[in-house]
Amino acid sequence: MSFTTVLRDDFTNTRRSYVVLGVIGALTAFVALIVHQVADFHEDAFRALVDVSFFFFLVFPLILIPLTYLAVAGDRERGSIKHALGLPNTRAEYVAAKFVSRASVATAAVVVATTVAFLLGLALYTDPVDPLRFVRFAAITALFVASLTAVFVALSTVTSRRSRAMFGVIAAYFVLGPFWFGFLPIVNLQAVVDTVADLLGTSVSEETFGYIQFASPTTAYLGGLEPVYEGVIGTGEYERIDGNYVSDTDALYTNAWYHWLVMTVWGVGALGLAYARFRVAELG
Amino acid sequence: MTAIETRALNKRFGEVHAVSDLDLTVESGEVFGFLGPNGAGKSTTINILLGFLSPSSGSVRVLGKDVTEQSRAVRQRLGLLPEGYEPYPNLTGREHVQSAIHAKGADDDPDRLLERVGLDLDDARRPAKEYSTGMQQRMTLAVSLVGDPDLLIFDEPSSGLDPDGVALLREIIREETERGATVFFSSHILDEVEKVCDRVGILNEGELVALDTIDNLRDQVAAGATVSATLDAVPDPLDVASLDGVRTASVDGTTVTAECTTGPAKMSVLRHLDERAAVEDIATEEASLEALFDQYTGRPEDSGGAASGGSGGTAESTASAESGRPAESTASEESTVASGGESA
Repeated sequence: MSFTTVLRDDFTNTRRSYVVLGVIGALTAFVALIVHQVADFHEDAFRALVDVSFFFFLVFPLILIPLTYLAVAGDRERGSIKHALGLPNTRAEYVAAKFVSRASVATAAVVVATTVAFLLGLALYTDPVDPLRFVRFAAITALFVASLTAVFVALSTVTSRRSRAMFGVIAAYFVLGPFWFGFLPIVNLQAVVDTVADLLGTSVSEETFGYIQFASPTTAYLGGLEPVYEGVIGTGEYERIDGNYVSDTDALYTNAWYHWLVMTVWGVGALGLAYARFRVAELG
Repeated sequence: MTAIETRALNKRFGEVHAVSDLDLTVESGEVFGFLGPNGAGKSTTINILLGFLSPSSGSVRVLGKDVTEQSRAVRQRLGLLPEGYEPYPNLTGREHVQSAIHAKGADDDPDRLLERVGLDLDDARRPAKEYSTGMQQRMTLAVSLVGDPDLLIFDEPSSGLDPDGVALLREIIREETERGATVFFSSHILDEVEKVCDRVGILNEGELVALDTIDNLRDQVAAGATVSATLDAVPDPLDVASLDGVRTASVDGTTVTAECTTGPAKMSVLRHLDERAAVEDIATEEASLEALFDQYTGRPEDSGGAASGGSGGTAESTASAESGRPAESTASEESTVASGGESA
């Protein structure tokens, strides 16, 4: 009963703010724009999901920040936490409810945006649209946003000031996203791994680096989308899809389930560690 | 049964010893005033009672349970009106009350609770971010009353309340104690504490420096009272200062003023004067809680930090129907002094 109390309060409080409208509206608008633009170059609607997924990977975490970074830190700074924890709610229920509330909003945004993408696919693309690909896309993306929401809420849980929470989630976004993926030419994970290997007088194999690179929830998200393109990968129909998913190694990270596991471990692990610290935190 | 019991309670924040060897017992059904200047450790103590902070050492039992082990069970039977708290901005006042009802599994009617604390039901359906401090305080008071709690912890409860709200708060405290609840009342408004509390504890620099009824504290520090009598003519010799329990005596025109260290000394002074002159008017002033507070905390009288609601170092005593304590009157009588039917 207490979990649902906190969940209902937080969801209602969040739902009535402009944050929800902003998250869902921004995401849907960007996705619609991408699907519309890709229609000029391709006949299959699912091909647009490649570009949509890159948008989710790179930009959606930024949209998630205002939804998540004050989840707990805001309550601690305002003192609102005294309402929730002055009642017979446990700290575990409080953190879990905060996560579920914020993840629900993020997931709703994914569902709305994917539905709009599907409907635009029906309208704008010449080839038949397979709804199953969109359902799989929505499900895997929902896992990704839940994982990232968990990381951000976890960071909000272990800080008592909004400024620290903001810095924490932005740093997490940069490290787990652009840095890990190698978006920047010099400041990236590859450069760090190569430098460390050089200093140790050794080298890192391609397979080992693959495990490192797919250890982030954001890169795991891109790897985990493979089932969306089932039947297309390796056919040569779409070079970019083949480039992402065709591999000559049998390492674990070539399996979609491995990436789903990575995202799940990040989400559960981050929340678990945050709760372990929050459980004994001084809330005065 | 004890509602709150701390034994050798200590709380340190690094080098700062916020609470030091606190032994405190609050009995069930009493209204306990918890006083102290800023930084005395009051909020830290309350946060420990709620399980928000862990004690560095010592034990804390609330409603018979160890709060470090059974915090949830304690909060099930506790009502809290916290200080420095902002409600959820987009939830209505009614939804805050419903939240407490839901969390406690209570069957209260939220509208009845809101009416009881004087929050208009239309206002109760507006987002809390639109509330004034007083409305927010009334809403939080309603939240604290959910589930007929056995213990109410009020931290600066009159903050932001208008005079009607303060009177209503006193009425609610009276009703709750009649029901059997214990009220732990932390406040800087010393007049309020004096009006509602059975006993007070004064915390200073983390240590409990006083714990008793206000009357007993007055006796302990010989704060006593001042009695003034206007006479038809000042007798010569006056000989008031030599009476037992009289610290000083002075004359201003035909008015004699004596500072007494004990309550009975006031009557001795009045009898002494009545035997030697016609007493036309009298006035007595008890040492206020603020004066006691100053003595226990070593605070200079004009240093601020605690408000007395407008009174100075001593407060002219008035009847306190809410507290049930007898009136210590300001009287104006012709020639004779009456006290408990006895003619002086």
